[in-house]
Amino acid sequence: MKFNKSIIRLSALLLLAPFIAACDDDEAATPHAGMVVDKTELGINETMTINFEGVADQVAIYTGDESHNYELRSESNTGFVVNKGLFTYSYSAPGTYKVVCIASTYNDLAVDLRQDTCSVWVRVIDDETEIRQLSCPQILYDEVYADALNASDWVMRLPRKVKYRNATPTISLTQRLRFYIDSDSTQVYVGGEPYGTTTRYDLSQTQDITVVSHFGTIRDYKLYTVQYPEFDEFRVNGVEGELDRSEFDYSAFTYTVTLPAGTDVSNVVPEFTLTGTNERAYIGDVEQTSGVSAVDLSQPVTYKLVGVSPDNAEATAESTITVNVNFE
Amino acid sequence: MIKNLIKYSFACLVMISLSGCEDFLDKDVLGYSTDEDFYDTRYKLQSALDATYDILQSDTFNDSDWRFGEATADDVWGADEGLSSQMGQLVSFRFTTSNSYIRDRWEINYKGIHRANEVIANAHRVQLSNDDYLEYKRVREILGQAKFLRALFYFNLVKTYGGVPIRPEVESVDNLVVPRSSLEECYAYIEKDLREAAIMLDTRYVRTDAGKAGSGAAVALLMKVLMYQATPGIQSEKWEEMVRLGQYFVDGMSMTYAEMLQWNDSQEDWETLRKRLWFKPRELNNATDPYEEPTSAMPALHTAYSLSYADCYGASIGYIDQFFQTGEFCSGSIFEVVFKESADGTEGDTNEGGYVFDDMYSTSPIIWSTDNILTEIYGSDPRRSFNLGHQTYTPDGELCQCGPGKFVSLKWYTPVKERPQNGGDNGKNRRYLRYADVVLMYAEALNECGNGAAALEQLNKCKAQVNTLNNGTTLYNGGGYGYMRDQIWEERRKEFAFEWDRFFDLVRQKRAAEVIKAYGANRANRRGYYFREGVNELFPIPQSEIDVSNGVVTQNPGY
Repeated sequence: MKFNKSIIRLSALLLLAPFIAACDDDEAATPHAGMVVDKTELGINETMTINFEGVADQVAIYTGDESHNYELRSESNTGFVVNKGLFTYSYSAPGTYKVVCIASTYNDLAVDLRQDTCSVWVRVIDDETEIRQLSCPQILYDEVYADALNASDWVMRLPRKVKYRNATPTISLTQRLRFYIDSDSTQVYVGGEPYGTTTRYDLSQTQDITVVSHFGTIRDYKLYTVQYPEFDEFRVNGVEGELDRSEFDYSAFTYTVTLPAGTDVSNVVPEFTLTGTNERAYIGDVEQTSGVSAVDLSQPVTYKLVGVSPDNAEATAESTITVNVNFE
Repeated sequence: MIKNLIKYSFACLVMISLSGCEDFLDKDVLGYSTDEDFYDTRYKLQSALDATYDILQSDTFNDSDWRFGEATADDVWGADEGLSSQMGQLVSFRFTTSNSYIRDRWEINYKGIHRANEVIANAHRVQLSNDDYLEYKRVREILGQAKFLRALFYFNLVKTYGGVPIRPEVESVDNLVVPRSSLEECYAYIEKDLREAAIMLDTRYVRTDAGKAGSGAAVALLMKVLMYQATPGIQSEKWEEMVRLGQYFVDGMSMTYAEMLQWNDSQEDWETLRKRLWFKPRELNNATDPYEEPTSAMPALHTAYSLSYADCYGASIGYIDQFFQTGEFCSGSIFEVVFKESADGTEGDTNEGGYVFDDMYSTSPIIWSTDNILTEIYGSDPRRSFNLGHQTYTPDGELCQCGPGKFVSLKWYTPVKERPQNGGDNGKNRRYLRYADVVLMYAEALNECGNGAAALEQLNKCKAQVNTLNNGTTLYNGGGYGYMRDQIWEERRKEFAFEWDRFFDLVRQKRAAEVIKAYGANRANRRGYYFREGVNELFPIPQSEIDVSNGVVTQNPGY
């Protein structure tokens, strides 16, 4: 029995020992900083995923960009707290960034605070050379957008005149340009010169545009400008038609010709002149020649005018001209 | 002694294991409703619908709407813009994915969706006491409103976060983590709800039913949902559908049920659809009961609402009365978040709208506008006068003391006589959808579809109504596509300023970065300057959702 009692006493002591030891051991565990970054070369706004794979009670990550630079932590730069070992981030500016991971452990009341750090360099590349949209922002009060013909050619279709309230001011071919590119770092050159937002460019010439990304990729574009074709004048039986422009659609025109009552208009030969040299007139697919082609004007007739850039046959602009006859 | 100890321990273990075999814990509770049998009457289904409407009144819902829709954009300054606060980080676009407002917005809208799903998933359990046409119609209206509300909550989520998880209508503990659906899937889901709601509801509810969402609300929201899917400058089916809906809503052109639903019988048989949506089944129809065919015309909406400033009785009211109690359910108001003073008018917080507008119209407003911003928004437009500066008087003679240099909108003001006795209540309804919005959406869609002349006509209808304020004659002018679009956007800003929608309107116009960054560049604290194009158009999925789903719910790009 004596032996049994000793065993019980000894066991009790053994049980107490860990409690005593635990109270005595006031040191934090050894931290270990370790992280896995899914990619070290990123695009702008591309998500980077970091998984923490070390030992720590708390994990923080300094991403190395503005306000989050580890080297400047004494100057109000801060890191991000990592939850559940997972952290995602993206960069808004190109550059090379030092990502620092800090693993901390601590004991009660943080009397003992230990840290371990590790770091990795990530490179953020901005290689944007795509023109998303291109416009003339000041066609009177309108912003007129160009259309992309293919990966490198754009065509700007501009009106010769715009109807606004009771006036029809002429639209110059010397215009500002506006580029929509999804990057602030990309440089644009027009005709070899750096692009300016308030510079006016001579759009009567085809413009060579060069886009250079921050990374250094160079991409060339061409901007062709075609004015919407118009009739300078339109006559039937020597009587000039009256032009009405659409305020809303620069490619739509209406001519009204007022003729003496009883005039037979079922087979008349209109005379017209086109404003531009590279312009042609059609009804349907049949080309019309002034003073030669006969038309039946007893119903309204729609001419299709096609203008083409001298530098690119694919860069075209089409107008529709509806001709009505009124009788006096 | 040790032997005894072992014996007793053994006996205890046996007893525990024996008692575990007893099934007295598994017995059904008698006398209580369960999910299975609760919704057996229309009244019980109505109570679930009431609970869904209740979310609209909650502080969190409204709070989140002004924080995201107004405070982040360029019409206001704010008191809480320091980078040390969650709000400051939010509006400066320098937040983390753990921002509590981002989480709150997610949670409150899902709370609404869950409650709407309760109605939708259980509507089939309702038993009718008789076969009257009206009995079916009443259940149908409850279901239709739930669909409208579910769409409203999902739309809020989608415009904030992009594609989100579509929750199953019946939730189970086995399937709590749902991955995100694509943006297109979410929009299709929302559209379906709204199209169905549009055919299930009356055009507008009046008198004792005022406040219920009608088909006008469903069609108006549907137009908005289509507009958010369309891109300015790019012709698309969405713009064309908006034009068609505008022709129906504004011009009074007829539209069939099938057209509204985009229905064809290859997807669902008409009679099955009718039964699912609580139209009275054909076989039970009496000779006098109406029968809705796919080719039947929808009830006319264009006579239900108007741009004129008139109250629900048709009596003329002032512009700003549209936002006061006087103008609740006025001719231009399509859907309102209804707040009601305590039943006895004296005590008890019967609705949760404690501070929906109070924080904005006070002696220390939490957001406010400035002289420069008002000039930018309004120019010489008479609507500017509905914004008050410090030490000026409200229309009912109260002195505005918002602080020097600050301007607050009367849209946030509750007139003294309309103010509830109890501080915990809100005095007036929040206007959520207005007819002017429908007309301007229609105008924008017309312009996008190449019909500038018709767009100008709609735009000038709005302007002509505003001209009645000061006998003005100025109208908008015709011009090319870009000019028309800019004029419509300008009018939208003037008409809907301070109605908590500016930020989302800018994002869907695809110019949030341009406008908000320019605004931030002119501010001392540069709030808005750090908006990141291509990223901040959407807010991040709350980090807690990513964490609890173990990454099944994925983060938005750039976060």
